[in-house]
This record gives sequence, structure tokens and C-alpha cells, in this order.
Amino acid sequence: MKKVILVADDSPTIRKFVSISLKVKGFEIIQASDGMEALEVLPSGQIDLVITDLNMPNIDGFELIKTIRSNEDYRELPIIILSSLSGNAEIEKGIQYGANAYLLKPFDSKRVLYEVSKFLN
Amino acid sequence: MMSSDNISQLFSKLNDLKKVFSYGEKLIPILNSLGEFMKDTVPLLENINKSIAESTSKIPKATNQIQSVTSATEMATTEILDLVDSLNADLSDIEKTMLDVLNKEVDKKEFLLNLIPMLNVKNAETFIKDFLIKNSSSERLGELLLQIGKMKTDSNSITISLQVQDITAQQLATVNHLIESVQERLSSLIADLDNNPIPEEHDTKVNLPAGASFDPNARYSRSEVPQQEVDSIFNKEMQTASQDEIDKLFN
Repeated sequence: MKKVILVADDSPTIRKFVSISLKVKGFEIIQASDGMEALEVLPSGQIDLVITDLNMPNIDGFELIKTIRSNEDYRELPIIILSSLSGNAEIEKGIQYGANAYLLKPFDSKRVLYEVSKFLN
Repeated sequence: MMSSDNISQLFSKLNDLKKVFSYGEKLIPILNSLGEFMKDTVPLLENINKSIAESTSKIPKATNQIQSVTSATEMATTEILDLVDSLNADLSDIEKTMLDVLNKEVDKKEFLLNLIPMLNVKNAETFIKDFLIKNSSSERLGELLLQIGKMKTDSNSITISLQVQDITAQQLATVNHLIESVQERLSSLIADLDNNPIPEEHDTKVNLPAGASFDPNARYSRSEVPQQEVDSIFNKEMQTASQDEIDKLFN
């Protein structure tokens, strides 16, 4: 059965980059253009991993992670941050909120694949 | 009857008045100059005010054009990515087919070599080995597979380079945000000076995308150093692989 990855980013090009990078290895991708849309998709119960941007309208990445982690059912759901924010404060906040990995943009698809495989294989 | 004291007081006051008049005489040319200066300056200030109003009215158009640039580059990047994706799929198909052909070549070679002891013909071994050397495609197929690997690496590099669109979009969103701030300041300045309201035919509202969110410091860099710094922070908490390990896994 295909593993399903939720990609939350307000940039359609980034969502496409991630999709292209991951679908070659057989992952199924569900896209969300902000944190709110991601939270609407999540309860479907089919999500195996979340890749999220930090700067997003409506609900940003930090808020999304916080909301996910506050739900008992998603405590173990792997979350990867994919952002252009490289400040220590953001990285530490990401760790503190419960992200499992932090990747900077522009990203290498091999690195994204590695991080995803680490949690899903 | 006026006393002599009163008369002397009157003369003193008249003297004072005379002094005021003589001072006024000196002051009149200065006041005239000031009047002339004001006459010249007021239209100038009105011009400045009008210019500010006109410039302010053009700001929304500028921001909309910036927004159009972002949309256009986004569309173009998506199209290029679709092509790269299709190219990658084709390359993977070719790679798979060539690997099949290469495996069949190996099988064929093995079959012919196994055939030698069964053949009771003079020089069979020399003949078959010579045939295999002259007709083997394995080496060429290996070279082509390497070239396909290189093309896949190049395609990966293209996708990394195309991410410049996302970074540029964030930078343009920052510029739009700054322009919006300038417009707000100018609008309030005009409201203070006010005799030249912003022309009504222009929409003065800056049309930033709803809920715009961006990183004002977004930069495009292919350097691995920033990611290594992030990894070192994350390594304190979790175990992260080196780039070499990742390359080994996915190449």
C-alpha cells in the first residue's frame, strides 16, 4: 500500500517540486495550500507523514505542528519542516513544537527522499 | 491747559512712534521679499503635493504589476517542472529497458560460454569468444546507463535551480509590502497637507494577496553550509545523516 504524504505550502511550485521528488519512489502526495487546509485533510486518517512550510497564510507551519501534536492520535506522525527561514530561533522552535526534521529551501530532492524514507521505511 | 511735563511726554511718545515708523520703513522691503518668496514657493509646494498625490495613485498599479510577474513566473516554472517530470519518467523507462537489455546480454554471453564444452567442433571456443568480443554491447550499454544517470542528476539540478522562483516570489512579496507602507505614509502626508486629494479614478488600495505570508529574508543559495548548520542544531536532538550517506543511498 502506498504511503501518503501531506505537503503544506502556499507556493504551488514548491508543492510540485516535492511531489516530483517523492512520487518517483512511489509515495502518494496530498497537497494543501496552508495550515488550515492541511488540518482539514488530516482527519481522513490516511496521512503517514507531513511536510510543511512555516510562512503560510491563515494557519502557519508552527501553528499547524502545534495543533497536530496536541492531538493524541498524531503524536507519532512524522513532521518535516521545509522552509527558507534559517534562523536559530525558528529551528529551535521547530524542535520544541515537535518537528522531526528541518530542511532549508532551496532543497535537494535526494535529501527530502532520505528524510521521508527514514520515517516511512 | 497742558503742563510742560505732559508736552514733553507727548514729544517723547511721538519720538518713539517715529522710531517705529522708521523701523517699519526698513522692514517693508523684507516683508515685500517674503511676500514674493511666498508667491513663488506656494505653487512649488502645490506642485510637490500634486506630484506626491499622482505618484501615490500609481503605487497600486506597480504592486499589481509585481504580482503579475510573480504569477507569470509561477506558471512558467510549473510548466517547466511538468516537462522535467515527464523527462524524468522517460529517462527512468529508458534506464529500465536498457538494464533489461544489459541483463539479456549477460545471459546470452553465459549461454554461449556454457555451450562451448557441449560443441564438438574444432576451434569452437576461439570462435565463440571472438564472436562475443566483436558483438558485445555490454560496454556500450554501461556507458549509456552512466549517461542516463548524469542526465537524471542534471534534471535534479534543474529542479533545485527552479526553486529560485519561490525565493523570488517571497522577495517580490516583501517589496510589495514595503511599497504598501510607503503608500500609507504618503497618503497620510497628503491628508495632512490636503488640498490635493488623490485622484479618484485610481484605486488607492494596494492589492496584496489575501493573507500574504512571506520570508522577507528569503535568499537563493546552492551552498550546503546553511543546511549543515540546521543539521548541527537538529543533531543535538536527533540523528541526521551526512550528505555522503544520502548520496550513497539515492545515486
